[in-house]
Amino acid sequence: MEQTPAIQTQDLVKSYGRFEALHGVSLEVCPGEIFGFLGPNGAGKTTTIRCMLDLIRPNSGSIRILGLDPQKDSVEVRRRTGYLPGELHIEDNATVESSLRYLNSLRGNKADWGYIQQLAARINLDLKTRVKNLSKGNKQKVGVIQALMHHPELLLLDEPTFGLDPLVQHEVLQLVAQARTAGATVFFSSHILSEVQEIADRVGIIRKGKVVEVAQTESLINRALRRAHVRFKQPVEPQVLANVPGISILSQADNLNVTLQVEGEMDGLIKALANFPVLDFETEHPSLEEIFLAYYKEDGQPQ
Amino acid sequence: MIAVFRHALVRSIGQILGWGIALALLGVYGMLLYDTLVEPQAQQQFEQLISSYPPELMTFFGDMTQMFTPGGYLDTLFFSYIPIIIGIFVIVSCASLLAGDEEKGLLDLVLAHPVSRVKLFFGRLGAFTISVILILFITWIGFALPLPKTSMQVSVWELFLPFLSLFALLMFFGSLSLLLSMLLPSRQWAVMTSGLILVTSYFLTSLARLSEKLRPIERYFPMHYYQGGKALTKMDWGWFGLLLGCSILFTLLALWLFERRDIRVSGEAGWHITGFGSHRTVQLNTDE
Repeated sequence: MEQTPAIQTQDLVKSYGRFEALHGVSLEVCPGEIFGFLGPNGAGKTTTIRCMLDLIRPNSGSIRILGLDPQKDSVEVRRRTGYLPGELHIEDNATVESSLRYLNSLRGNKADWGYIQQLAARINLDLKTRVKNLSKGNKQKVGVIQALMHHPELLLLDEPTFGLDPLVQHEVLQLVAQARTAGATVFFSSHILSEVQEIADRVGIIRKGKVVEVAQTESLINRALRRAHVRFKQPVEPQVLANVPGISILSQADNLNVTLQVEGEMDGLIKALANFPVLDFETEHPSLEEIFLAYYKEDGQPQ
Repeated sequence: MIAVFRHALVRSIGQILGWGIALALLGVYGMLLYDTLVEPQAQQQFEQLISSYPPELMTFFGDMTQMFTPGGYLDTLFFSYIPIIIGIFVIVSCASLLAGDEEKGLLDLVLAHPVSRVKLFFGRLGAFTISVILILFITWIGFALPLPKTSMQVSVWELFLPFLSLFALLMFFGSLSLLLSMLLPSRQWAVMTSGLILVTSYFLTSLARLSEKLRPIERYFPMHYYQGGKALTKMDWGWFGLLLGCSILFTLLALWLFERRDIRVSGEAGWHITGFGSHRTVQLNTDE
């Protein structure tokens, strides 16, 4: 039997007045996977997540969260979901503990207070502090705890490590990975591409309100771009290589050492190099960041 | 809904006690003064004093010809101007009930929890209503406690009636402010507009005692249906019902808008009509 997707959006359109924030977003996230949602500011990441929780309503398109319609079954969807907003606001005068107790009471006190204390200890958060005295990073920790405290089936995290120091970032990513191991599905947006690369099974790239790429993180890194360093035995005119489709010269120290960028298959480059005396040939995969940036080149067209 | 209600009520405890105790003390003080004022000699002196003031000024303190009756006295002491004072508190509180938290960004997180918008709405409105009731109740105690020590021929229940009339008026302005906070771009606009209606209504109703020309207009404003001290002897339940009926209508409209509203992350909205978004046009076709 086919598994119901944890998240399914189809042709999601959302406008704010004349501005169209989402322009037909279609996504499918499988149960138990960690899905990284990448895009620059204003691409539509937060809007997509907020539509999933029925905080805002799309103009058209459809959404299913854990098989449910978030408009008709909003309470049930939220009961089974943990959400960390991109901009977290908590009542300033309350202590962290009373804030978490209130949020827990909204969930019918389903979260175990011992677990909340464990989470706080792991990310080094004092529950007795007043929220107004917390730094941005410490407020973010409150957000992380409230999202995880009830062991949700689905985690919707909007920039979860924003404002956290590297050690806590690592700890939060560990918590997210552990939540997945426990069976949760994780959908998270991020600007920090290295963390997406570290924990996401699949990646979706959104650009101007439209998903332009969805792929396995590994295959996206493997397939899209490669960098090739070539050392020639004799000086050559590398411009000949640049004429090969999909190849561009990144740097050229002299006529013996050239760094090339290869898009797509390596076949064309290897055939072109066959005409030259090659001393050494080395390729490397680009980081997810380089791939991401390739989708946002000057002309704005995905590569 | 209980969690939302309890949390909202706890947040209001300071206001309930602050307003309630202050107004109750005013009541104790004013009630104990009544007998000194209605003594024939004092009454005569006071009438002379009143006549020396311009009627355009005195009209804002109720019907001064009735000053020496219990109803007229309570009007001048308290009920004639108190709708403006508590009214502003009510307007600000109701405009902040949802829109205030939305502007602070608090609603985004709360509504990501398993609470329906209807329950959040009624949880908060319920807590607000209880707050107003408690403020008025504490104030009523302040008026009722010294009652046996005065010569006022008024029962405790009769003393309760002007408070009921005040409650209906406050709920009218509270629900109006709540409705406007759902319609207008910001809480500030809702406060300003409701406040303007409150003050205009107060001035019109007061000045209509002096000018016949204002009476046809004044009856379209809510203060006309507020009875204040007059309710002590002749409560008009129709007017009371009218104010409460309008409150219920405004509340239901506000709920309708809130249910259809796009919750902002934080900050104020622009000048497009909120609540009339595209929401329910979503095609839910994935089951097909």
